[in-house]
Amino acid sequence: MIIEYCSKLYPEKLRKIENPPSRLYVLGNEKILNDNAISVVGSRTNTRYGEKMCKLFTKGLVEYNINIISGLAIGIDEIAHKTCLENGGKTIAVLPSGLNNIYPSKNKELAKEILNNGGILISEYEPNTEANSKKFLERNRIVAGLGLGTLVVEAGYRSGTRVTVKYTVEQGKKVFCIPSNLDNIKGKSTNELIRKGAILVTKVDEIIEEYKDIEFTKKEIVHKDIFLNIPKELHNIYKILNEKPKDMNEIILLSGESVNEVNYKLMLLEMEGLIKELPGQRYIKGIN
Amino acid sequence: MLAKRLKTILPELSIEEAIEITKIYSISGELKKDGLITNRPFRMPHHTIPLNTIIGGGKIPKPGEISLAHYGVLFLDEIPEYSRNILEALREPLENKEIIINRLSGNYVFPCNCIFIASMNPCPCGNYGDEEKECKCTQLEIHKYLKKISGPLLDRIDMHIEVKRPKYEKLFAKAKSETSLEMRDRVNIAREIQKKRYKNYNIYSNSELNSKMIEEFCKLDGKSQIILEKAFEKLKLSARAYGKILKVARTIADLEEKENIEYRHIAEAIQYRSFDKKYDN
Ligand SMILES: [Zn+2]
Repeated sequence: MIIEYCSKLYPEKLRKIENPPSRLYVLGNEKILNDNAISVVGSRTNTRYGEKMCKLFTKGLVEYNINIISGLAIGIDEIAHKTCLENGGKTIAVLPSGLNNIYPSKNKELAKEILNNGGILISEYEPNTEANSKKFLERNRIVAGLGLGTLVVEAGYRSGTRVTVKYTVEQGKKVFCIPSNLDNIKGKSTNELIRKGAILVTKVDEIIEEYKDIEFTKKEIVHKDIFLNIPKELHNIYKILNEKPKDMNEIILLSGESVNEVNYKLMLLEMEGLIKELPGQRYIKGIN
Repeated sequence: MLAKRLKTILPELSIEEAIEITKIYSISGELKKDGLITNRPFRMPHHTIPLNTIIGGGKIPKPGEISLAHYGVLFLDEIPEYSRNILEALREPLENKEIIINRLSGNYVFPCNCIFIASMNPCPCGNYGDEEKECKCTQLEIHKYLKKISGPLLDRIDMHIEVKRPKYEKLFAKAKSETSLEMRDRVNIAREIQKKRYKNYNIYSNSELNSKMIEEFCKLDGKSQIILEKAFEKLKLSARAYGKILKVARTIADLEEKENIEYRHIAEAIQYRSFDKKYDN
């Protein structure tokens, strides 16, 4: 579907930015474009801490019925989209390419799940356009434009995230940053942004407090399993794992599968980077 | 516990094997009563015993613990306690399944085709990775402790498996599991499969495959190949570990009575290289 600038479907928030796209190509649920949403952005090469924080804050935002906007990139973007879906939220992905050319192709599955779960894919480019570095930065004005504000999870020194932050500020919106240890290179930009006046947040409520004139309604989170690029035979084991480390024996017990099956399946999941083994033969879920 | 139970799933001794074992016990003066030894031996030498008691030696050479474990199990409990000398001296005989002792009067060759099992803690205090008890070791102490076991020795061990404290084992008892008897049946079947497969090759089991035979009997399909390549890159495995993984995968396939090694057999075999994962991290 194409939404022209003059259409009444064109998102109000985007209309107000300095150089709004003249038309939007969209796929999915366009009705959510005017709902409350926050942009969640960050590094493509996030740390484990970044992943953990991204999940925590995304989940918290979904709890307040806030949609999550991001760029479908690897790293923080995909974690934000996926976590949103896992918690029954709706998410908006703004592409740096045409809708027939989903970028990165690794996240095609994710794009499909976004559509399956009442979300939407947006691009300002002709459907067959390919992504390029100019478009990576350009589309960030839409990422910022559709949201009430931008939450930066982790960002390296030179990153597209800084561009999204620049647009957010230009659009007169709030920038929230999750602080990092000083020795975390992926936290350099977030810490610096805080120093320059971005709002340091330690919990989701601190984001909510910044929007006094909006009334957010809280809802109960119902967890949903999202299987991205995971072969069916591994679903049962993957489902059992979460952020809390689980012992090998517990996994065997909970899955009802044999020791052999559990072992080979854990190996395959680990090879794919979907889970991680911790000391003491304990496993947790996690991207990267 | 695990080591002792292993005996219960091993196939019964053949007459030839029983005679060989009895001979070894006889020349070492370890024969407690007359007649044939019919049980697979289980030897657990303490870490304080001298080198030649473990690998064999003496003026008139006598077989050591490693040979007394022939066709049975040699178990080293808390392996980092053993001296570097002993551990390094074990490497060759474990690989060659025999030990050669040179004396002026000639060379003595004792067989030592045993299953080698060793145990160790995750760290000096034993609590690393435990949810309840706190580990008080520093990273350096843990690193030093793990490094006591050299890479070449580790490479000669087919499977590394972490086990939990007994508390968990009780819980585990409820899970889907086989009795020793059922396991032993499967082991016997797998043995027969291997004997038949290798009848023209002068070997009996997967563990004896040399690199050329591995190529012939451990062929992989595309999917298995990809998994193995990924694992190599990720875990930085050695060439020797490569052979071990294929042999273990071959054995898992045999236990399931499968003609070919499948990707899940490879994945499971890689899973049993937990030490390699640790060194990587
Ligand atoms: Zn410790």
